[in-house]
Amino acid sequence: MLRRFTLPLVLLFLAYVLWVGSEFMELALGVAFFIFGMICLEDGFKTFAGGALETLLQNSTNRLWKSLLLGFTSTTLMQSSTLVSLITISFVSSEMIALAGGIGIILGANIGTSTGAWLIAGLGLKVDIASYAMPMLVFGVLLLMQKSKIIKGVGNLVLGVGFLFFGIHFMKEGFTAFQLGFDLSTYSMTGVYGVLLFTLIGTLITFVMQSSHATLLIVIAALAVGQVSYENALALSIGASLGSAISAVIAGFAANLGGKRLAAAQVLFSLVTTLLAMLLINPLMQLVDWMSSCLGIGAEDYLLKLALFQTLFRVLGAVVFMPFISQVESFLIKVIRFVPKSIEQPIYIYPEVLETPSTVVAAVRKEVQHLFDNAFGLLASGLSLKRSTLESEESLSAAVKATRRIFPIDVENAYEEKIKSLHSEIIAFISEAQMRESTRAATEELYVLRQASRDIVSAVKGMKHLHNNLSRYGLSANLAVRDRYDQIRLQLARLLRELQVLLAEEPTSTTALALDSLRLSVQKASRTMTDELDEMIRYRRLTANIATSIMNDENYVTDIANNLISAVHALLTKEAQETAESFNLDDVEIQQLIDKEAGLPL
Amino acid sequence: MKAKKLLALLSQFLDADSKTQQEEIKSIRTVLKELKNKERDLRAKLADKIDTDPEDAEALQLKLDVIYAQRRKGVMKVHALKRHLQTSENTETKSD
Repeated sequence: MLRRFTLPLVLLFLAYVLWVGSEFMELALGVAFFIFGMICLEDGFKTFAGGALETLLQNSTNRLWKSLLLGFTSTTLMQSSTLVSLITISFVSSEMIALAGGIGIILGANIGTSTGAWLIAGLGLKVDIASYAMPMLVFGVLLLMQKSKIIKGVGNLVLGVGFLFFGIHFMKEGFTAFQLGFDLSTYSMTGVYGVLLFTLIGTLITFVMQSSHATLLIVIAALAVGQVSYENALALSIGASLGSAISAVIAGFAANLGGKRLAAAQVLFSLVTTLLAMLLINPLMQLVDWMSSCLGIGAEDYLLKLALFQTLFRVLGAVVFMPFISQVESFLIKVIRFVPKSIEQPIYIYPEVLETPSTVVAAVRKEVQHLFDNAFGLLASGLSLKRSTLESEESLSAAVKATRRIFPIDVENAYEEKIKSLHSEIIAFISEAQMRESTRAATEELYVLRQASRDIVSAVKGMKHLHNNLSRYGLSANLAVRDRYDQIRLQLARLLRELQVLLAEEPTSTTALALDSLRLSVQKASRTMTDELDEMIRYRRLTANIATSIMNDENYVTDIANNLISAVHALLTKEAQETAESFNLDDVEIQQLIDKEAGLPL
Repeated sequence: MKAKKLLALLSQFLDADSKTQQEEIKSIRTVLKELKNKERDLRAKLADKIDTDPEDAEALQLKLDVIYAQRRKGVMKVHALKRHLQTSENTETKSD
């Protein structure tokens, strides 16, 4: 109820503030431009995800120093620790990066954030960056209008930087105008209370804006025009570090177990860094003064001194945290475990249904369909395709080719929550039904439906194995490997779509017959894949090692497909199956058709 | 296993009276008609896809091959049943 009114209330309040205090307008516009610039940058980088960025991440996290360096450089280049954190969480979630490697990246990214402060302090307030922003926006829009996805991505990046520069410009102007009507410096405080209050303010600003960069910019702009004292600006920047961890927490909620652990590690690290910086603020200020004199930074050049302070306390936090990474990793693995929360509940089977054999069969059939529906969603995510894509008439081959990232789903968790629990309920219900008086036909049907439920479970278990290799090789830079995995995904996606259509339509005498063509296409795809892999090994286009991984995965797909076809066959009504019996092709006849397709003598 | 099942079905058919046998032939013919309609729909879809989406066209062709094989199986069964029905009718006439 409250959430429904939050956004309108915030908008009304903002409109009122902008109406009453026109001096606030430029500042708000600057923040809006800055955040929009970051959104453009994020979109731009997403275009390149699945290519160089991801390959780099995979190869650069096997050692701690590599992870740190990667976090530092990628944040420096992208100027967004939030984006690096989110990508890292998704990689840890998909088990492509170990938790320790992920923590290393986060530490590096945290240090990398301070380069933003150097850029803003060194350039932002001295050079008229708005003059650079204008041509950037022109070129960015021009590139964005092109058809090629890569050029569009570059357009987004250029546009993003342009808006960031514009944001910086307007915030600077806004603070100058804001100062005339309202003086923040009258609220400045010194001592412990000042540090506590301004750290809290910094955290809140970062939490609201979801960007420590934006907070830093505000702090630097406010410091430049004398709105806040140097000491209070330092406290604000400490708060920005803690506030940035909040976006990680939000991402952690949406991530699986690995992502949650990494988000917790980031919060822990931010807390340690903030606490250290708050406790050691005076020695750090002295160190900044000493280092400034060594580096030739003027005693009154508070902007560069603030940037130096940023770097020092973030490096200090990382140095203190680094020796304990493995302990933190084991602690998080021990503390954050899978807790089944949203266990799927049966919809159709309940004690009252047990009264007559026919209602039992009908209810179990519907419940197994419910199980199939859950498996459908899980398998679609396992293939990194949206459920809605499979349920639409969209081209599946286009959707598979357009995949830019493998969904970081935790198949094990999803299996426990959505499949295993429901399967157990179905089995328990059937056992209960068999204790009661029943007809022979009903008993036989229940036996078939129990087997269907088991087939669905086996299909999902197959996906658990398949998803591991899909995460590793699914978007491989080696086109031969990617093509094979695209084939695997497409084959299974097509099958899922066809099976769902069959289950949705009113069963006729030919419904069960349609399963024959699905059986045939599964066998044909398996044979084609094996032939192609043999040829690739022969011509050294694939290493035998990767080829065997693909062969194993192909086997999983064939098993998943056969299990699903058997399950759907059982789910079709008995009448529909009986009429089809005279027409159903047997294994020999299907084999003959495959041979005919391959041009082999019959 | 499948052959045994078919033999069982055939013997069940042979044991049934001629009216039941006629009904069975009729039900097979209904399925054949449905398959024919399905084949027609698929051919229309194939004509649309053959130039635009070769992968989908290949999948449709495969379905058509299966339907053709199923129909052939059904037609052969109808012939076999009809022959048997005729033979039994002739035997009954001679014995009269």
